[in-house]
Amino acid sequence: MKPRRKEKKILFPRMKDKRGGFFNFADYRKTSNRVVYGVMVAFLLLFAFVAVFPILFLFASSMKSVAEINSTTYTFWPRQWDFGKISVLWTRFDFGRYYLNTLVYVIGAVIAAVVFNSLLAYAVAVVKPIGYKVINVLVFLGYMVPTILNIFPLLQEIRAFGFLDPDHQSYLTFLPLWLGFGANAYYYMLFRDYFARLPKGLVEAASMDGANQVQVFLRVVLPLSRPIIGIVAIFAMTASYSDFLLPYCVLQQQELQTIVVGIYNISNTNPPLQMPDFLLLILLSVIPQIIIFLIFQRQIMNAGAGKGSKE
Amino acid sequence: MLKRNLFGWALMLVPLSLFAFFVWVPMIRNFILSFQDNYFDQNFVGFANFQAIFADPAFSKAVGNTFLYILFSILIGYLVPVLLGFLLSEVFHFSGIFRVLLYLPGMISGIAVVFLFSTMYGDSSTDLFNVILKAFGGEAHPWKGSTDWIIPLIVLAMTWRGAGSTALIYLSSFQSIDESMYEAARMDGATPWQRFLRITIPSLKATLITLFVLQIISVFQVFYEPLVIGPKGGPLNSSMSLLLLSYLYAFEDFEHGKSAATAMVLVLIIAVFTLAYRLLLRALDGGFKKGAKK
Repeated sequence: MKPRRKEKKILFPRMKDKRGGFFNFADYRKTSNRVVYGVMVAFLLLFAFVAVFPILFLFASSMKSVAEINSTTYTFWPRQWDFGKISVLWTRFDFGRYYLNTLVYVIGAVIAAVVFNSLLAYAVAVVKPIGYKVINVLVFLGYMVPTILNIFPLLQEIRAFGFLDPDHQSYLTFLPLWLGFGANAYYYMLFRDYFARLPKGLVEAASMDGANQVQVFLRVVLPLSRPIIGIVAIFAMTASYSDFLLPYCVLQQQELQTIVVGIYNISNTNPPLQMPDFLLLILLSVIPQIIIFLIFQRQIMNAGAGKGSKE
Repeated sequence: MLKRNLFGWALMLVPLSLFAFFVWVPMIRNFILSFQDNYFDQNFVGFANFQAIFADPAFSKAVGNTFLYILFSILIGYLVPVLLGFLLSEVFHFSGIFRVLLYLPGMISGIAVVFLFSTMYGDSSTDLFNVILKAFGGEAHPWKGSTDWIIPLIVLAMTWRGAGSTALIYLSSFQSIDESMYEAARMDGATPWQRFLRITIPSLKATLITLFVLQIISVFQVFYEPLVIGPKGGPLNSSMSLLLLSYLYAFEDFEHGKSAATAMVLVLIIAVFTLAYRLLLRALDGGFKKGAKK
């Protein structure tokens, strides 16, 4: 499952050191296979370029002045780097506020995603009270249907609980949005499959020793579950950062909007923002995600690689 | 036993009420709503909503578009991650850097991606796609303003964002292929091409089928791409998706019944595909399933 880890980091490993995989050192004794390898590297370079190019475009264009972007001669990099507008736009749209709101939103979403889905999964996979099979099927039914599909009745429910009041200025308004992450069939299934694979004897031995069920969960199951908690936390983190429609509908007060909602609303302002300025706001919204990825790249990519083995 | 049941249900109580609130109740409410005139008056109107949407050209356009989205997402987006996964598993120079670069687009929020690509697809001659086209001697073209191009362009943006993370799934499938099978084939003097067809592809079958179906199902969720790039499903509804149409009915036209009826049609389509997928898995059971359970 894990990407292969190389023992020693060599910048240019030699072809005769290639072990395992589709082509190995023996294959690379033939020139034709070496040519194939060259073609593969070329393709990979091309794909890497395609992956990075739009991000470079975003960076370069957002630093251009308005006059430059409309001029007839196009240059990829700005002729004049307009760094000064970062602080102008930052204060104009109070971007610190968006970052803070997003941070609060993400933290709450991650906590809700981990706590509630794991509780349900533990009950179904380990405790197995009467009726647990029905619950399992009902949760799976919700998995196939996108939440956005039923968003109108959901919003009316949220309104009925008094959470759609535009005068509310506290983070309590986030509560229904956070709790939404606590009802995620995919996270539930990840936890459930993980708990089901825990060694049975361990859980039983712990309960025989007189530890009650709550202690078994806290002392035995939770410490063993750190990998899956990490995976769900990563998924919930990236999903909540990008979460759009429900927060867009619920967070009507500008002071509480997350960065993604803010960007969307700014895109609809009249008169519209100049293109390089708007791209700069997009860039600002993307930077935290890139930084988080560079810090946690191994964990994030390992979590992502397991996605396909589940349905 | 009683104690166990009580404890189990005590654990499930809060999570289940969350599922009820966020998933089940809205779903049931939407089902009922599809036979009512609107959310607040709740007069039953029979199948009037369904008749109304079937008569709406925007709806038939959205149904047709759904199949176009599927077609293009398979043409553009299905094989690229397979190829990427293979390349990542075989190229052993700078493999870590390649992996990071290819995964990077997947980290960017969907909204930022659609705004970014919407800018590049702009109609004016100073927008990126036209700049590139002109550099190769072409004429400026109204990319996102063109009813023929809008769906492929949306799929291209989705593929750009999703291909890297899907490629990692294939990467781990490629890496979990038993080395000794390749070794045995080498002993027997099989060419790389034969190895690829007889060992690599069959070992990958489970992942290929699963991700094929997941890709189709994910296409039904196309929403903010046509909302932003279109915008609102444009031009002339040529990028309208069922999900977006359902949203626009409710939030722009305030026709809750029609919105719910559209949602029910989408649920039906998703259910059919899910069922077909399950039957397919069952039919292919046996040796095949071992591969899927990695």
